[in-house]
Amino acid sequence: MIPRPHAAEPAAEPAILLAQVVKRYGAHRALAGVDLQVRRGEKLVICGPSGSGKSTLIRCINALERHDAGRIVVNGIALTNDEGTVQDIRQEVGMVFQHFNLFPHLTALENCMLAPRLNRGLSKAQAEKLALAHLERVHLADQARKYPARLSGGQQQRVAIARALCMEPRILLFDEPTSALDPEMVKEVLGVIEELAASGVTMICVTHEMGFARRVADRCVFMDRGEIVEEGDAARFFEAPESERLRHFLAQILR
Amino acid sequence: MNALPIDLALAWESLPALFDGLMVTVFLTALPLIIGLALAFPICFARMSARRALALPAEIFVVFFRGAPLLILLYLVYYGLGQIEALRNGPFWIVFGSPFGCAIVALSLNHAAYMVEVLRGSLLAVPHGIVEASEALGITRRNIFLWVRMPLALRYGLKAYQNEVVSFVKGTAIVSVVTITDLMAVANSIFEQTYDPFTPILCAAAFYWAFVNLIRVGFTVWGRWLSRHSAEDAVVAIPGRQGLGGVVVEAKVTP
Repeated sequence: MIPRPHAAEPAAEPAILLAQVVKRYGAHRALAGVDLQVRRGEKLVICGPSGSGKSTLIRCINALERHDAGRIVVNGIALTNDEGTVQDIRQEVGMVFQHFNLFPHLTALENCMLAPRLNRGLSKAQAEKLALAHLERVHLADQARKYPARLSGGQQQRVAIARALCMEPRILLFDEPTSALDPEMVKEVLGVIEELAASGVTMICVTHEMGFARRVADRCVFMDRGEIVEEGDAARFFEAPESERLRHFLAQILR
Repeated sequence: MNALPIDLALAWESLPALFDGLMVTVFLTALPLIIGLALAFPICFARMSARRALALPAEIFVVFFRGAPLLILLYLVYYGLGQIEALRNGPFWIVFGSPFGCAIVALSLNHAAYMVEVLRGSLLAVPHGIVEASEALGITRRNIFLWVRMPLALRYGLKAYQNEVVSFVKGTAIVSVVTITDLMAVANSIFEQTYDPFTPILCAAAFYWAFVNLIRVGFTVWGRWLSRHSAEDAVVAIPGRQGLGGVVVEAKVTP
């Protein structure tokens, strides 16, 4: 069992701090020195063309990708190569993937129970209660005993959200959560994420769902070629983009 | 001459001896399967290691013992090692001094070499995204292996494992060359006493067939149980090689 670190929480301290973060794949710089601060409870939307580094950015936050230079601090914990630090950060940060990545050999309920049982040593009964509560939150308590293969894409993604919530993270990362869904299922997933947003959790969401961004995001960030080109509150971001690159991008996706 | 190539009276008389031979075959199957599998795990981990100093010896082991014909391996262990005086006087002579010990060593090494590759292939088949999702949940590497990678690898690799076990059973027939009276040796001695080639050999074949099919049924039941998460769409009966029907266990993975 990994002890849950209790970072000091002065109100001013950001939930996530990135300073001059660089990530290279060979000669290619996926992140070219990114600076970003996310306040506690803030809802941040990141958009940008494919290959702009937005997925790489959020994957660096929970160390699925290791950054090559710069500083990443999550809830007061500086991310280093130390395996213990990485585990500490991952206890604080939940992640939802484009392709759901549910455990195919476990039911929806068991998918949600695995991490709490292994990481926090919960008993089966405790973990089940926790898992059911979070499945209820994503409106899937009635599907708890089904295997992922029996669920629709939208339902699978909601199970994936419940699975992340079961670790009771203070930060949630969404990596294009609706990009792999059929159009009619996008709404149910975004609806659940919007409900979560109201709960005060810190959220970073990589998405091209502009309506969602307007409703939920406190701030939008536009990335291109490994850098943050422009950021601002959602309304101004879409209505009055400053940079040519963002104008061009918005013209592309809103066509 | 009888219309049947089989002398039924001789077959009936031979049954007890053949059954004793079968028990030796079963023993010479079961023990090397256990030892070989136990050896295969650490060698597989070494083979998959990023460290060359671990991966290279493991690779050489696989190339050597998979490449060496079992008969030659058995001769080398049984006749070759006996030439080494130090071994004859050492504590391991308990193993290498008996034909059984030698057969078990040779069969185990052969099985281990094949199983390293079966295991490696199965582990590599586990989708990377599912492993990443486990990492993001803060599950430790050891627990990811035990609860996610290995259970899925078992489902992907069950068919390959079944093939290896079945061909291994038949491979044990060569132990008769080092004076072990397994099923094949019993049949052979009856042939030499009676000059009836058909009766003992066909009876032995029937015993092998029964044994192999018992294994097949066991694997089928196991496979059904493992694939209960996708029972309708993943269990497909196909005519396997070596005259074996079986289940294809395909853990359904999204997308």
